[in-house]
Amino acid sequence: MEAAESRESQAREYLEKHRILELLNYLTSSLLFFRPEQPREYLITLLERMRIAKLTGVAFPFFMDHSNIVAMFEMMDPSKRGTISFVQYKEALQTLGLCPAGEVLQDDGRTVSLDNFRDEVNKRTQEIFSSF
Amino acid sequence: MDVTTAPHRIPAEMPQYGESNHIFELMQNMLEQLLIHQPEDPISFMIQHLHRNNDNVPKIVILGPPASGKTTIAMWLCKHLNSNLVSVENLVIREFPLLTTETRKHYQRTKTVPSTLLVRLIKERLAQEDCIRRGWILDGIPETREQALMIQTQGVIPRHVVVLSALDTVLIERNLGKRVDPQTGEIYHTTFDWPPESDIQNRLVVPAGISEMETARKLLEYHRNIVGIIPSYPKILKVISADQPCVDVFYQALTYVQTHHRSNAPFTPKVLLCGPTGSGKSLQAALLAQKYGLVNVCCGQLLKEAVADKTQFGELIRPFFEKEMAVPDSLVVKVLTERLDQQDSIQKGWVLHGFPRDLDQAHMLSSVGYDPNRVFFLNVPFDSIVERLTLRRIDPVTGERYHLLYKPPPTMEIQARLLQHPKDSEEQVKLKVDLFYRNSADLEQFYGQAVTLNGDQDPYTVFEYVESGIINPLPKKIP
Repeated sequence: MEAAESRESQAREYLEKHRILELLNYLTSSLLFFRPEQPREYLITLLERMRIAKLTGVAFPFFMDHSNIVAMFEMMDPSKRGTISFVQYKEALQTLGLCPAGEVLQDDGRTVSLDNFRDEVNKRTQEIFSSF
Repeated sequence: MDVTTAPHRIPAEMPQYGESNHIFELMQNMLEQLLIHQPEDPISFMIQHLHRNNDNVPKIVILGPPASGKTTIAMWLCKHLNSNLVSVENLVIREFPLLTTETRKHYQRTKTVPSTLLVRLIKERLAQEDCIRRGWILDGIPETREQALMIQTQGVIPRHVVVLSALDTVLIERNLGKRVDPQTGEIYHTTFDWPPESDIQNRLVVPAGISEMETARKLLEYHRNIVGIIPSYPKILKVISADQPCVDVFYQALTYVQTHHRSNAPFTPKVLLCGPTGSGKSLQAALLAQKYGLVNVCCGQLLKEAVADKTQFGELIRPFFEKEMAVPDSLVVKVLTERLDQQDSIQKGWVLHGFPRDLDQAHMLSSVGYDPNRVFFLNVPFDSIVERLTLRRIDPVTGERYHLLYKPPPTMEIQARLLQHPKDSEEQVKLKVDLFYRNSADLEQFYGQAVTLNGDQDPYTVFEYVESGIINPLPKKIP
């Protein structure tokens, strides 16, 4: 059934190109976090904001803003050394959904500081949103 | 300690919100539509899809041999569900002026249309506004496996498929009595479905092609084709026998198309079992806990454990136990909350029985945030309860529990020394059962979505009913 296989791979490519899964992840997380009375209307509002943001270049509605990133970093760094290990950094990116399972990050032996972490999170989120 | 790898503590409101608003199904539908249409601008497409809000419109296919009553059932379902009927006839009549002369002559001769043309017509029809808004019911389409596959690749996927079936002899005979009303297109029958109004009776004409030979030929063709179509719709198919009165077939079809299929949504069961004493709640709870790994929370047991362990709550409860008075509700709720808050019951789900026993307790339980998502009422007639409880005996020497009917003691010697618990005497049982029934009406009203089961059967049969109640989605109430 070659036609079926090619359609399946076509569908997968479509999903990756438009980052549909990350988008749905973001929508579902927002829904469960804010728990609006009217889920459909809330989703419509979110999508409208994203569409406008894409057209006008205004900042996207991020799920994790700066204070959240700082809080997460501090949770991982209880002794306040100012850095987290590479394993923690990778786990954190996966938890946030910013690191697809296939990606292999380079462990170059150095530890990750708050600024690095924040920049990386922002960079990846921006990358995802720019493809919508 | 690395916080990122500790088990996540998800606040209980999230799964509850997800379940009650069917978030999983919503997202699943949206993803399906995205994959079928693969629009260049997904965000606008999604906004449009959400505005339309047509996840629950009927999408039904009705198949069956000639004279099985497909068109009648399809028309009745359309009227009842306020949907659109699509059949080969409809499609051709709508598009008649636009078809080529060849196709028209072919249709007039054989009443069939080539498959590719048919599929194109169907796709256009189903893309129209009224079909999108109110759903559609396909009558007798697809006719062959080829058509079924073509429709599927175009993205037309039904949610329910009803196949009518009956014996050939019955169908051939039934077809001889078919009469059609030329004005409305409705089908009547000389014996089974005769219209009451005399003016309709006078109008009826005998349609062409209902002789025995014709029907037999069409039946042969149908049997050849249906074998290939049925495997295309594995999980959504239901076969209904057409050899019964029309109304029965209609009601079976209607109930089926109004049920949701089991979804893949993540689901943590929070089951509440209600019933008078002796109805089998503890046994069912134990079976559920064993099979599904749920936490078995028996209210009475919990209180006794608290007292025995001499916990802080236990000390407060002990004076009530000693004086044989009922423990106040607020205290019970606190002990329950403590148990249900623990990580294992949040993660694995729980089965609660023995609480609440009246409306106030039910209100208290939901105010602390523990709403069950499946409620079962076990109904057992009073005589059965009496039989189950008053014949319980215990052997004081070995501690083994017996029942004079269901698990009799092996020797006469043991039977001679058996004792009965004073709580199991008939008067005590009657008191407790009356107490339950006084409050049960309120409880049934409070838990609107509860399922009532007949508890008067052997435990494994009741367990199967409980299981199907938990696994299947809650039935939709027909407005």
